[in-house]
Amino acid sequence: MKFKAFLTENGVNLLEKRFLPALDKMGKICHLYLTRDHTMFLHNLLNGDGIQSVAQFRKEALFDDYRISSQNEDRIAFAIDISLLQRAVRSSVSICTEFGSGPTQNRLQIKLVKKLPPNCTQPMPFLTFETKGYKSAVIQDVPISKPFSRAQVIELQTGLDMAQDLPQTLVQVPDLNQLQNFVDRLKHVGDLLNVSISKYGDLLVQISTTLITVGAEFQKLLVIGEQADAPAEDRNLSAQTRSARAILRGDAQSVQVSVKHFAKSLQCHLAKPDCAFYGIAPQGACLTVIFQFFIPGSRQTDKSISLHCRLPVLDPGSS
Amino acid sequence: MSSEGPDLVCEVDNVQGIVDALTAVRWKRQQDAVVELSEHGVVLIVEESSCLQAKVYLQREIEIRCYIVFYILRSVDSLDACIYAEIRTRIPETISWDYNFEPAGTTPLSFTVKCLPLTIQTVIFKPQSAALKEAIDDLEWPGSSVQIILQPDPPSVTFKGEGHGDLQIDFMYYVNTDLLIAFSCDRQVSYRYKYKFLQATTSNIPSSVIRDNRGSKLTIGRGGMLKVQHLVSVARPSIPHPHIDSAGYQQPSRIAYIEFFVKPEEDESTIND
Repeated sequence: MKFKAFLTENGVNLLEKRFLPALDKMGKICHLYLTRDHTMFLHNLLNGDGIQSVAQFRKEALFDDYRISSQNEDRIAFAIDISLLQRAVRSSVSICTEFGSGPTQNRLQIKLVKKLPPNCTQPMPFLTFETKGYKSAVIQDVPISKPFSRAQVIELQTGLDMAQDLPQTLVQVPDLNQLQNFVDRLKHVGDLLNVSISKYGDLLVQISTTLITVGAEFQKLLVIGEQADAPAEDRNLSAQTRSARAILRGDAQSVQVSVKHFAKSLQCHLAKPDCAFYGIAPQGACLTVIFQFFIPGSRQTDKSISLHCRLPVLDPGSS
Repeated sequence: MSSEGPDLVCEVDNVQGIVDALTAVRWKRQQDAVVELSEHGVVLIVEESSCLQAKVYLQREIEIRCYIVFYILRSVDSLDACIYAEIRTRIPETISWDYNFEPAGTTPLSFTVKCLPLTIQTVIFKPQSAALKEAIDDLEWPGSSVQIILQPDPPSVTFKGEGHGDLQIDFMYYVNTDLLIAFSCDRQVSYRYKYKFLQATTSNIPSSVIRDNRGSKLTIGRGGMLKVQHLVSVARPSIPHPHIDSAGYQQPSRIAYIEFFVKPEEDESTIND
């Protein structure tokens, strides 16, 4: 089992400034899954109850001179502490930039190693960062779990395949910050959040307790997938009534998720996505949020980067 | 009740004013309030162990179509987004005490303090003013109650506490004219109030309100009932008028009245009516 690659300058930027801060909010430990063509950061794909997140990069988006080999179709997976990874990347960057402003190309190598740590009898696996500065080289070892067995990798791949189902209707959230401010306030009201999404482009988030109902509605959002025109007779009704009628008509779905999970999913804005879409998976299986990244300076989707989260549904609700 | 359309519509142009007013009368986490709605506006009453009561008067602003059932708060950020809230009502477990505040005599026993919350917080409860700090280092209000003494000659207000040590702060009307805006008293009275209740009458007033505050009036009524009145602006902050003096005109509907009533401690009857 071998893995060795050089992080590109763009790759370092993507990880250090955008993705690692966002993924750190998803959970301390994630699975790093490396294949011949892709690098993936996966949260909660093996255990069902938390928010699942899948960040996938084509190898070119992060690495140069990417070499991987294993007896398991060149697939390697292990668990890693995101905050340790973040620290290692961050200090590597500071070493690279400390001496002159030259390119970081081929200066930041990462590889999988087994080492005998001090006071240990068994060698332990590490992801090693080797940074070449102007006159010095710094080596940082980030401890990782024992690499996954063939059966575990298959299990992870199955979880990944199952996390790819696409909602029939997706609505684009115009302002993630605004929504996050609102949800941060809602966290004080209760734990369960109702999310309704309609084919008309309406997104309704609402919290209800025995004493209070607080919600926000966004209308006329951009819809991807199945869409419909909002009935004219509904126009002057309240948000809640319109949503209820849309669900009855089969034009909307509603699910209940944890406010904490929803707030976490909004933390993904740290990865600086260009768009965010929310949708409810078929049969109300989960609430999915898909982030879209553009090729810098264009409105074209950057297909080498993808990030999406799946929020477990706490109550099937009305579907 | 129809499923669509509330029975009462009350539009507010500045939600922050209401938030400020509600903050001012909130002194603990779980606090029930009784809301009275009428054609004149909204009155909100909160109470604490039948010794402290606060009332917020939000006067009628625009339109009240008919009588209550529940009310909906709704703010419109843009045409296509809105935030709404629905508060379910319940029957109050206790009936709020409706104390008929009566003057203690022919001459009202009252004084008006400029910027009371600030005064109370900094001078009286946590003395931090330079003069006081020089005199007494690390001053803390002793005991659990504070005695308020009003006397006509010389016209002055005294705050007095006894416990592990004594603390007495005198405000002479003619000396502290920048602090005491008005004073009315024809005989000496003295009542003792729970420190925590007195503090509740001022401690939660948001700083934005303190800035606009034109003075808070304290009146001692019959039996020693203390009334503390604050005015809170619920209007959108506008360009300040250059000639606003102490009697400056503000539209009455843009003001929320906040009143606190504090019952005196019963054992105290030194020089009363």
